[in-house]
Amino acid sequence: MKVLKLLLLFSLIILFRPDATTAQKFMAEEGYVEFVSRAPLLEFKGTSNNLTGLIDLDENLIDFYVDLNTLETGIRRRDRDMRSTYLKTDQFPFAEFTGELLTGFDKENPQEQQVKTRGMFTIHGVEREIEVEGTLELREGGLKLNASFTVLLEDHNIDRPRVLFYELADEQIVNISILLEPVAN
Amino acid sequence: MKLFISIILLLFLIPEILFAQLERQRTVVDQPVELTFMAPRNINLLTVEPLSKGELHYSIMHTFGEVTGGARNLWGVDQGANVRFSFEYGFGDNFSVGFGRSSMDKVYDFNARIALLRQKRDGSMPVSVSLAPSVGIITSSFGFLDEDYSFSDRLNFTLAAPIARKFSDDFSLMIVPTVVHFNRVGAELNIADPNVNTYYSVGVGGRYKFAARTALTFQYIPPITDADNLDANIGIGIDIETGGHVFQMFFTTSRALNESYLIAGENGDFFDREFRFGFNINRLFRIR
Repeated sequence: MKVLKLLLLFSLIILFRPDATTAQKFMAEEGYVEFVSRAPLLEFKGTSNNLTGLIDLDENLIDFYVDLNTLETGIRRRDRDMRSTYLKTDQFPFAEFTGELLTGFDKENPQEQQVKTRGMFTIHGVEREIEVEGTLELREGGLKLNASFTVLLEDHNIDRPRVLFYELADEQIVNISILLEPVAN
Repeated sequence: MKLFISIILLLFLIPEILFAQLERQRTVVDQPVELTFMAPRNINLLTVEPLSKGELHYSIMHTFGEVTGGARNLWGVDQGANVRFSFEYGFGDNFSVGFGRSSMDKVYDFNARIALLRQKRDGSMPVSVSLAPSVGIITSSFGFLDEDYSFSDRLNFTLAAPIARKFSDDFSLMIVPTVVHFNRVGAELNIADPNVNTYYSVGVGGRYKFAARTALTFQYIPPITDADNLDANIGIGIDIETGGHVFQMFFTTSRALNESYLIAGENGDFFDREFRFGFNINRLFRIR
């Protein structure tokens, strides 16, 4: 009897578990994001594997955020400066993007597809409307998103050292890569 | 069976709880307060600012002659500098070891810093506390004395325990109880009282950031040891952080640059212009 119950349970789980081809909503909490700074004398990047994201194809909603306290540049003192002096993560812990797909996405097409989104990008408490281009690909494990865009620190009122050393570029290249798993509607 | 039903219900219900937009949740929740001070020292006093594992901190510190020397002596610069250079390496995020060398009395010091407590953002820990023991070895030649210094005579020991709080992004304050013991004292050393071996102090230091990377700094070390010629140490300065270096420029009443001489050394009268110019340059390297 116990075996039967177990079988019933697993069949139910398998039956109702969302899969990539039928799901409309995809989520992940361990996406990759990097902020690349290319200053004349120094190039470095801050990276995090804590990008959290949601794509809801039904609602045409794209929503991403990362806790900026998880960004690491490889030099801890620089990380502390970044958190405390530039990004002020105590007050503004997140970088976030909320927007919509401007181009359609064909779920029947297994190829990587170019997509365009528009939405509000917020960092340091300052919101800006941006357009982001990237690729979406429906895979067995979910929806793979790669995207890249640039952010000007000045646009978000982020001060940077420029008196003596140009060690931080105003233009930050943001690259994201995330595999979003299907979730039930 | 109840458990199975609960699991199945949960499997169905959890996705339904999702809001249209994701709820923002911090990944890092217990991050300690950082950059209470810009460098391991605030003017001369040790701070609670720890090194991280694998970080090497190099500093070079100077104090010149008293500004009362006037323009002819470039307000003390011509009178020569007491110079201390030091290296400190972080063996862990809360433990570092270093050494330094000061030209006044040719002192080599070997020191450690242990970050005992770290102030927390959520208020569960209101202060950061460090412990900083050090041993100094005076290497001046004392051949002119009737009884020369033995190795043991040349040693001094210091224990400082900075306790600091970052009140806001801009304002930090610390008190630094310190005890210093010289194995042997005498008029040949640059200390306040040639008859007192052990000195106690409770110094106060602080900084106020008036721009993103620039702060006003101060230190005050009242004379609490019963010793002759011991006066208050007063220092005021400015810290400039340049994205790589921290420059600290200050006026202080003492030539001393290490803990033992800072606490036991002589001080001028700040309000009688008996102060001197000094500066520290701090640079941090990553070794790993």
